[in-house]
Formats: sequence, C-alpha cells, structure tokens
Amino acid sequence: MTLHRVCARDELSPGDCRIVEVGGRSIGVYNVHGEFHALLNRCPHGGAPLCRGIVSGLSTSEGPGRPVHWTMDGEIVRCPWHGWEYEIATGETVTEPVIRVKTFPVVVDDGDLMVELA
Amino acid sequence: MKLVDAAAHPVGATGDEIRRYMKEPWRSAYFPGPERYHYASPFGEYDDATVPSAGGLPGSDPALLVEQLGVDAAARVVLLPLTRGLLPNTDLGSAVCAATNDWLAEQWLDTDDRFRGSIRVNPSDPDAAVAEIERWADDSRFVQVAVPLHSHHPYGQRGYFRIWEEAAKRRLPVAFHADGGAGVDFHPSAAGPLRYALEYNALLPFTAAYHLASLIAEGVLERLPDARFVFADGGLSALVPIVWRLDKDWRSTRVEVPWTTKLPSVYIREQVRFCLTRADLPRGRGDASWWSIAQADELLLYASNYPQYDWLSSDAVPDGGAPARVFAENARELYGQRLMS
Repeated sequence: MTLHRVCARDELSPGDCRIVEVGGRSIGVYNVHGEFHALLNRCPHGGAPLCRGIVSGLSTSEGPGRPVHWTMDGEIVRCPWHGWEYEIATGETVTEPVIRVKTFPVVVDDGDLMVELA
Repeated sequence: MKLVDAAAHPVGATGDEIRRYMKEPWRSAYFPGPERYHYASPFGEYDDATVPSAGGLPGSDPALLVEQLGVDAAARVVLLPLTRGLLPNTDLGSAVCAATNDWLAEQWLDTDDRFRGSIRVNPSDPDAAVAEIERWADDSRFVQVAVPLHSHHPYGQRGYFRIWEEAAKRRLPVAFHADGGAGVDFHPSAAGPLRYALEYNALLPFTAAYHLASLIAEGVLERLPDARFVFADGGLSALVPIVWRLDKDWRSTRVEVPWTTKLPSVYIREQVRFCLTRADLPRGRGDASWWSIAQADELLLYASNYPQYDWLSSDAVPDGGAPARVFAENARELYGQRLMS
C-alpha cells in the first residue's frame, strides 16, 4: 500500500476534479460536497477517460407526465464518450446491471490529499 | 400434443357478415371489406384450400380450420380476427370492432370450446376501447385485446395509456397485428409508401420496432408490470440488433427517460412476446447461439397465421427447429388461466 500526493487539500474545491498520474495510472480525484473520492480514469464500458466527463446530477421521475426531479447534484460523473452515469462515491453506474469503475481511498495528510494505491 | 396456436385469423363467410351485429347508422354505412387493400401477395393472399366447400371467404369455416390445423382435444386456438383498418370516422371504427367481437363470440367461440378470442378495440378512441374491454373482460373465452399494428402514433405515447392500463388490470395481453381493410393508418414505411408485397412483408418488423421502442421509452412497461404485449406478425429476428442498440443507448440517454429502470432487453423478456412468423432463425438448433441471442426460446409463440397463403402448420416447423415451450408453455404463461379453463 502506497500513498501518493495529489495536491494540497485547499486546491481542490467542492465540485472539482483533478486528474493525476500516480503509480502508472490515471486517476481522477473529486471533491463532492467536501468529501474526497478517487476513480480510475477509464470507463469500463469503452475505455474513455471517464474523469474528463462533466460532474452532474441524476434525473428521476415517478413516471411519464409526472415531474422530473434533479437529485444527487454534483455526485454523478457522466462519461464523455457515451454518457454513462456513475456515482462518484461508489464508482457504480446508476443503471442496472451495475458496472463499477475502480475506486481508490483518499486521505488527508497534513493538509495534503493523498490517494492510496494497493 | 397440447398445442397452442397464438394467432389464427377467422373470417366471415362474406365481408358483410358483421353488419348483422351492428345498429344503424353503422349497419348500412360504407366501410371497407375484410381484405387488406394494398400489398396483397401477387398470387393471392389466402391459401385456396381454406375456402369452404359450401362457399364463402377463405378461413370462414370453423370446422375446416380445426381440421386443417390438426387441432386435437387438448389444443387451443387463439383467434385474432382482423378489422378494417383505422377508419377516418372513429365511431364507425369502434362500431366495427364491437360488431367483430359479437360476431366472433357467436360464430366461432360458441361453436368450439378450444377456440379463444381477441377483443378488438379501436385505439383511436380510448374511451370506446376501454368500454369494449369492460364489455368482454368477464367472458373468459377472450384471452387478449387486439389493435392494428399500423397506427396514428407510436403505441407507447400517453394517449393510448389507459387502454393498456385497462387490459393489464384484466390480465389481458395486447396483440398488435397488421389489419385488414383500408384505413387511414400511416403507410407502412417512414420513407414513404412502399410499392410491392416483397417490400411490405420483409419490412413489416420495423413497424413493430417503433412501437417496441416507444412502449419502453415512454415507460408503459415500467408503469404496468402486469401488461403483456404480443407482436402477432412476428419479426423477432429482425429486431435483435435494434434491441442491442436500445440496450446500448439506454445507459447513455436514460437521463431523458428517468422513469425507466431496466435495460430494454429485460423489459422485453419480461413483458413482450412475438409470434413465430418472420422468425428468421436457423432451421435446426445447430447454431443455438442465434436462438440464445434472440432470446427466442422464451419470446416466441407458435402461431399458424391461418388462412394466409403461407400459414404454418405445427407439423411444418422443422424437427428441432423450436423447443417444445414455443408450441405451448410460452402461450400458457402469457395467457394464464383464461387459456385452458
């Protein structure tokens, strides 16, 4: 297990993503409402650089003709190639059957964000 | 063999037979005959052998149908009479549907307890369609609702919803089948009217594709888990790559249809079936992967399509070409208690 420095904590504001190369891998580190998460920057669907996708929310509805709600704002990343939606915190698609993108723990160490690789 | 034929098409001895079941002003109104006006096969739309010896239109003799289909005592035949297309006068269209149902009950269902019926409804008039379902729903010999394949709008759209809702409430599947007569339904191609039977027959499954995608995207299958839909003109194999594409694009475009929660192919497996017609699959099971890709074992229903010129006897299906469940169990699951009672 190794820790790799991403940036100073204060450099990653809520809603932002920073893509870093660590341990030979491209990883996107996110600040979601003050919580930090890291995803492998590779969509398991088609291999796209997932973390270059926009950070978005989730549309939900009780049915056609009913209101469409906007939920989980800032908690979803939308793949730039085919629009697959992933929850940043879990790396799971919002659609079933669930596909997962690899996630990594992020720790704060003396004011720095560190991503942890196995 | 406890066979279930999911679509045979009973015909009146004459095109005017249903008028006896109509009231004025409809009884003496002009409306088209039962034969489809366009794209008939160049050598005739019906098998000549299905013309009754005593005279009458092909497919108009219940006893001859039973004999020619080889229906045994345990078998069931789901009768799907055609109507006359979506008539411009929608009240006349509803009257034709109602008369067709009365005719079917008296001329066919009353004559043989192996026959099961389809409730014809006019999708252009949802009020009348719901009332017609209510009129027959307690007659357990009617096992499904039927509407024309060609329509004024894709069938998932909201104006049709309560027809499907009523059918689902009654546990009646809804069958789509190309209709007879000559209505003001749209021409059977998004590129413009076709010219020949060759084009019409080969391309018919794409009309089904529009409805299938619409029923999924508009959330009809999601909202009505008890609803079942049958594409009685078949065409399953032609739709396989379209279903792949629906599955592939759903994850990308779900944001627009947030009421959908499953892959399109999952909705189809749970709620949609296809008659065997136009199932262009390998003759044998040698390339079983094709059957598997098309989910054909689960989705197909044997249907004779009697008395069309190419009607399919269950004996004519090549050995090993379809599993036994296609000939009975799939239909039994679909139609439930009404079928065998």
